[in-house]
Formats: sequence, structure tokens, C-alpha cells
Amino acid sequence: MEDLVGSWWDRLVRRAAYPGYPQAAVLLDDVAPQALLFFRAMGGDPGLAIRSAVGTAHGARRRWLARVAGIDTHVELAWRDGQALYLPERIDLYPDAALNRGLYFWLMALAAQPPAQGDWLQSNSEGTARCLATMPGLATLYQRLVAALLPLRNWPANGTGQAAEQAIRHALLQPGTATALPAGSPPPQPVPLWLHPSPPSAAAANQDDGQQPEQGHGDSRDSKARRRYRARRDNPDDRKNGMLLQFRAESIFTWDDYVRVNRHQDEDEPDDGAAAEDMDRLTVSRDGKTRASRLKFDLDLPAAAYDDTPLGDGLLLPEWDYRRERLVADHCRLQPMLPRDASPAPLPDKLQAAARRLRRQFQALSPERSRKSGEASGPDLDLDRIIRFLAEQRSGVAVAEPPLYQAWPPAGRSMACLLLADLSLSTESWLGEAGQVIHVIRDSLLLFAEALAACGDAFGLYGFSSLRRSEVRYLLLKDFGEPYDDAARGRILAIRPGYYTRMGAAIRQSTTILLQQPAQRRLLLIVSDGKPNDLDHYEGRYGVEDTRQAVLEARRAGLIPFCVTVDREAGDYLPHLFGKRGYSVVHDAHRLPQVLTSLYASLTA
Amino acid sequence: MNAPHRAAAAAPLPFYQPLADECEVFEAAWHQQLPLLIKGPTGCGKTRFVAHMAARLGLPLFTVSCHDDLSAADLVGRHLIAAGNTQWCDGPLTRAVRAGGICYLDEVVEARKDTTVVLHPLTDDRRILPIERTGEQLAAPASFMLVVSYNPGYQHVLKTLKPSTRQRFVALAFDFPPPAVELTVLREEGGADEALARRLVALAAQLRRLGGYHLDEAVSTRLLVYAAKLIASGMAARTACRVALVEPLSDEPDTLAALMAVVDTQFGA
Ligand SMILES: Nc1ncnc2c1ncn2[C@@H]1O[C@H](COP(=O)(O)OP(=O)(O)OP(=O)(O)O)[C@@H](O)[C@H]1O
Ligand SMILES: [Mg+2]
Repeated sequence: MEDLVGSWWDRLVRRAAYPGYPQAAVLLDDVAPQALLFFRAMGGDPGLAIRSAVGTAHGARRRWLARVAGIDTHVELAWRDGQALYLPERIDLYPDAALNRGLYFWLMALAAQPPAQGDWLQSNSEGTARCLATMPGLATLYQRLVAALLPLRNWPANGTGQAAEQAIRHALLQPGTATALPAGSPPPQPVPLWLHPSPPSAAAANQDDGQQPEQGHGDSRDSKARRRYRARRDNPDDRKNGMLLQFRAESIFTWDDYVRVNRHQDEDEPDDGAAAEDMDRLTVSRDGKTRASRLKFDLDLPAAAYDDTPLGDGLLLPEWDYRRERLVADHCRLQPMLPRDASPAPLPDKLQAAARRLRRQFQALSPERSRKSGEASGPDLDLDRIIRFLAEQRSGVAVAEPPLYQAWPPAGRSMACLLLADLSLSTESWLGEAGQVIHVIRDSLLLFAEALAACGDAFGLYGFSSLRRSEVRYLLLKDFGEPYDDAARGRILAIRPGYYTRMGAAIRQSTTILLQQPAQRRLLLIVSDGKPNDLDHYEGRYGVEDTRQAVLEARRAGLIPFCVTVDREAGDYLPHLFGKRGYSVVHDAHRLPQVLTSLYASLTA
Repeated sequence: MNAPHRAAAAAPLPFYQPLADECEVFEAAWHQQLPLLIKGPTGCGKTRFVAHMAARLGLPLFTVSCHDDLSAADLVGRHLIAAGNTQWCDGPLTRAVRAGGICYLDEVVEARKDTTVVLHPLTDDRRILPIERTGEQLAAPASFMLVVSYNPGYQHVLKTLKPSTRQRFVALAFDFPPPAVELTVLREEGGADEALARRLVALAAQLRRLGGYHLDEAVSTRLLVYAAKLIASGMAARTACRVALVEPLSDEPDTLAALMAVVDTQFGA
């Protein structure tokens, strides 16, 4: 039945079901900034993304229905699956924009309800009843939505059609009392207040769209373990090139499976190394001629032309082997580097406004030379203390002369922060279509630096990625010693996503650097997007345990490690790495720049 | 520093609706002369709980709100000059010890680390308070109790108690009350009727789903009480929710708009 209704509707939408009021249209883009928060407050699964009903992220403007139907009027319906909540890209059902907007929120509230029993009619009616019972404020809105909808609906000509329409109207007016749709009725008109009877699968939606399935679409929640196999593609042409797909499916997965099965107990270096080496070769041999350099970059083999500029020979760092419960000395080589092609550059124009705001806000944080009492020397007498001291002397108790001056020392905060950004390849993929995450990271770093420079705290910015233990790439973006200027901005602007995430080594190096800072409080802020992992045995438990160990070492050394992540699944492993209160998950990655700075302000307030 | 106040014997108990067995724990700790640490988010009833227990046990309560300039002298006391002569003046901690009452240090993590060290001899089995400046050494009477509180939210990772301080306390974790309890609080404290209290509690459940993701801290019982009071006094519900529940939680326009949409699911016109 469900399927039947669904396919009827898919046909039906091509025949303008509702006229629509374009001048009152509300776009998903308009409500999107509030949608995630609202959906979660309604009890919706916090892991779900919000996408437009055509199966693309709301940012992408594809009007599938409009295009397929070749008409302007159309009905899009909402539904929810394991990955996302799908909402119409625009709603112009009502002549009143407030109602169209209200419909968005109604649909989100309805979709947040746990799935109800029964067929399409019953489950929607049941869900509606539940919403209304728990949210009296919604009842008013709902009544207005229904009252305005009924006049828009046609009366079917034949008898069974009328019976079905009758049942639907009854369900709309008296939610919770619905019986099943009468058997054998013709396709009922869509009900825009309800969820889709048989949501199109993501693939189907994409096919209808006449486009290649979006790579990365629908699996934005993939663990990094899988994401790492995704190739970089910032050029749509790559998508059309089936080779990447084929490549992923055949070579890498097979290799991965092979390694998984044959995982060694001890140091699995030699074999793993060989397998990985094979993979590199495969990469090259399968590679076409013209795209040689691009593909090499895409798939883990640094193409000389793309590589960053190494500084020195690299440092040997230990790594924790959890199976043997000990640090293996000199296990990885960390290579400090400067981003290639970095030339001094000013802050991009689009960030100027935000930067100005942040600077003002953070200047307020800066220790505006507040008066400090009880100094051993200083320009003013500390009268309070002098009186107290004299009083005590008079009382006959011998007291040593305390510090009796007031001073205005600068830098009262005595705070140093090292920000370590994960630049691994996965940072390329998780924002899906809505924009490359490296841009968000870049903006975040830029704004973060503007803010910190304004408040005067000592800070350094570093990025990292890795390519097995022999190459942990540690990108120097702004050193503690140097001022934050256009040279540093240029380096941040030049970052590109790298390889894998050998987090332990990067944290250890950051710890060393941060420990050299003379501040009283030292914050090690890690911006990450997923689990630690690398091509060799640095995966799963091994990587997690090494990272955890590195975090513990930092904490023991007196630093305060804190992780900000955009990985929605971070709750599974971050408490283990950073402690229950040692991390924060940013659910909407686009907000990372704001979140990062406000987090810093509240952490250090 | 708050002025200490002595609970008048006849005054009614400050209203406190227990969430679990915290009153029994408090009493047991007091009987055993053990200091107590209360941790919990802001506005969940920590201060009220201590006030309630002090009154219930008939003990004077001395409250100190800690801040980063709080010195040991602020707690213990200092010499003042009066009429050309010096005179020792007890700080709240000393007064609490002398009176055998409860000394409550609110937001103790805000205090400087060297300040909390004066608590050490009081919070082990010695239970003494040495007053360096007068050479006096006070032994705490059996009825004296030290209670400290702090908010362990992640925003406070930079401020923690030293383990050597922490490990001197019996600890109670507070959280926002379950709906049935919060309902009673809103009726008693906020003067809300049953229907209003229900809606506010339902709204709180919705808003608290956002704690940690979109909001630094979840909406507190204190704010709900504010909203209840404003509505009960005749303010339009939407306005009251906006000023008491939404605006205090965020400055981001999108977040505020979304929070208002959530409010509308309970109080929409
Ligand atoms: N269990 C409760 N019984 C009675 N009132 C309560 C209870 N919980 C919270 N309240 C109400 O919430 C208000 C705030 O509580 P209180 O001031 O004790 O919070 P707090 O935990 O001390 O917060 P902070 O950490 O910000 O100081 C109280 O004034 C009271 O109205
Ligand atoms: Mg309090």
C-alpha cells in the first residue's frame, strides 16, 4: 500500500497538485540555520543532517520536481531516514508566508516523533496526535495549517476516491482517530502536512535527477575509517570519471580487507608496509596519463609538485603500543613543514566583518592592565595592606613586612594556547556538497588567530596529517614567537587537506612546544574531525590508545588538552581520549569559526 | 562576600524539593563531621539546598561567593583599626567555626588555589583552623560543617580543584530535577498553576536537549522559575519565555530564532 501511494504521488506531482503562491514562498535555506536546533529540541535524532527533499544538502539548489515535471508548481514532501531529515526545498503552499514557514516547523516536529504504527494515514495521524498532546503551542499552528489546507483540496469525482478523501480529512481534523485508507481507493492527493508515504531512496532521487550519485552523499556520518578511502574531488569532472569509483571498490577495499583478516599481533610493519607500497604502485599504474599528478595527490602518494616544504630532517617521536603497554621509542618521524606556495596575504574580505567583531569582543578579554594589589614594588602604595600591616604590628604579633605596593602589570591572564588542526583527507569530505571543510577550517583558524591576537594571549597554530609512521607532517602556520601578520595569514590560507591522522605524534610535538611557553595556564586545543587513523596499524584501538596516551602525557605535564570536533560520532570515542568534559562537538560544521572563538572565550574566562 | 545570616528559629524552612536522597546524605555527613562538596550546573538548586539543610538542622549559615581575588584573609579574618586601636575581625569561615555553623563556599573553583589551602586542616580529621595572624588555633565544634560547591561544565576545564583539596570531601552530584520535581518547584517557587508548570517543564525538556550542542549550558531551574513568576504576574507567556529563557541562553540571532520556535511549540499563539 505504502509503495503504491508513493508511486502514485510521484506521478501526481508532475500534474500540479496545488497551485502554490510563489510570492509567499519560504525556502529551506531561510529556515535551515534554525532547523537543526529545532529538530533536536523536538527530540529528533541529533545525528541526522537536514537535507532538501530532493536528496541533496539544503545548500545545493536543485529543483528536481520542478525540473522533472517541467512546471513551476509542485509538491515536495518531508521524510526521514537513517541519515537525514529531508524537507521540501521551498514551501509555497499557502498565500501567507508565516504559514509556509510554520509548515516547515510543523514537519520537523512531526518527523521528530518516534515512528508510529499503521499505514501512511494512521501513522501520520498518530504522530500528529502525539505532537499536539505534548505541544499545546503547536496545536494552534496546526489548526491554522489544516484550516487553510482543506479549501485547497479537491473533491474526487468517484465514490471510493471520496471515501479516501473523507478519511484523510477526518484524520487531519481529528488526529489520532484514523482508520486505514479504504481498500482499492485511487491515488489520494498528497498531504503536505504529513510525511512521505514511501520516501524515495536517496539513490532513486539522484537518478531522477539525472545526475551521478553524489559521492559522500548520505554517508556523512561514516566513520573516518571508511572516509579515508574517499578520493579528493573538488572538480565535478572527477565524479564522472568512473575510475575513481572502480578504484575504490576494487583495490583499496580488497587491500583493507586483506589486512584486516591478516592483522598481526606484533609489529605488523613489514607486511603492512608492503601492502601499502603495493597500493601506492597500484595507484600509479592505474592512473591515467593526464591526471597523473592529481591522482597521485588524491591517493596518498605525495606528488612532489604538491608537497609542502620540509624544515630540517624531522624529529623522532615515540608511540604507544597498547598491546605491549609501553612507549616504543623513536617510532615515528615527525616532519615540520611550511605550507607550499604560501605568500603573505591579508585577511580575506569576506572575513573582515567577523574579524572586526571578534577583535572588539576579544579586546575586552584582554587584561586591561588591572590594578594588582600586594606587589613587592610598584607605583602606588597599597593602603589597605599598609593599614592592615600597621594594625597587626600594633597588636603585638610579629609579622614580616608583606608586599605593600600596587602595580599595573600587563599580561595578567598569563595564558598560552596552541591550536592543532587536523588536516587529514577526511576533512575534505565530510561537509559533502555544501562546501569543502578545509575552507571552514581555514576560516576558523584565521578568525581564531584574529581573536587571540586581539586579546594578547600567546598562541601558536599548527596543522598536521600523516602518511604512515615515517611521515607525520607537522605544518607550522604561526609559531609562538612570531607575530600574527600577513605572513602567517598567508600560510593559513595555503593549507590543503593532507593524508591521515596520526594524532599521537602531533599531540606529543605540540606538548613539547607548548611546554616551552612561560604562561601560567596552557591550553592545547585540538580541532579534529574524526578518529585517529593512518595507513598502517595505526587504526582502531591502536590509534585511539596512542592518542589517549599522548593526551595523558600532556595533562601530566600540566597542560590542559581540549578537543573540538565536528565528528558527530565523536561521543563514541572522545570521552575515552579527552575525558567526559575535555571535548565539545560542533554539530553544524559551518559554525566552527564562531564556536571555536566563543569556546576559547568561555574556556579562559 | 555575602553577609552571613543566622536562621531564626521560628522562620519557615526555605522551600526545597528533594530530588533523591541528598537530604539524608547531607545529614549523615553532618553527623559524621565530614565536609561536603556539591557539584552541578548553574541554577539547579545547590544554594537553596544548603540553605534548606542549614535551617533544617537549626544551624547558622555563612555563605561566601568565591572569586579569583578572594584571599585567605577574606575567609579567616584581619586586623582593623578602630578608635585608634587595632581590633581583630573574624572572617566568615572563622565565624562559622566559632558558631559551630555551616560555612558554604559557593563556586569554590573560582578562589585562588592558595586560598583553598587554608581549608585543609579544617577538612581532615584534625578539624582545626589555625589563625596565623593572632596565633590562635580554633578547634571546630562537632556541629561545624564545611560545604563547597562548583559547576563542573566543560567551560570550566581550566579551573579545577587540586586533588588534595577535592579528596577531602564527600561529594554529591546535582542535576536539573526530573519533570515531576521541577513541576513542584515551579508551582511552589514560581507560583505557576498546574497547566503552566507542565508547559514550562515540557519546554525545559525540549531546550535541554540542546545543551552541549548548541548551547553552552542547558536552561536552568532558576530561569524556569523566573519565567513562571513573570507569567504568573500577568506577562504574556511568549514574552516571559523570551526574556527569561531564550535571551539569557544565547546571543546568536539564528539560535535565538530557533529557540523561539521551540517556545512556540508550547506557548505559540
Ligand atoms: N529542588 C529545588 N527545590 C526548590 N527550589 C529549587 C530547587 N531547585 C531549584 N530551585 C529554584 O532554583 C533557584 C536557583 O537555585 P540555586 O540558587 O540554589 O542554584 P545554584 O545551584 O546555587 O546555582 P549557581 O551554581 O548558579 O549558584 C532557586 O532560587 C529556587 O527557586
Ligand atoms: Mg548558588
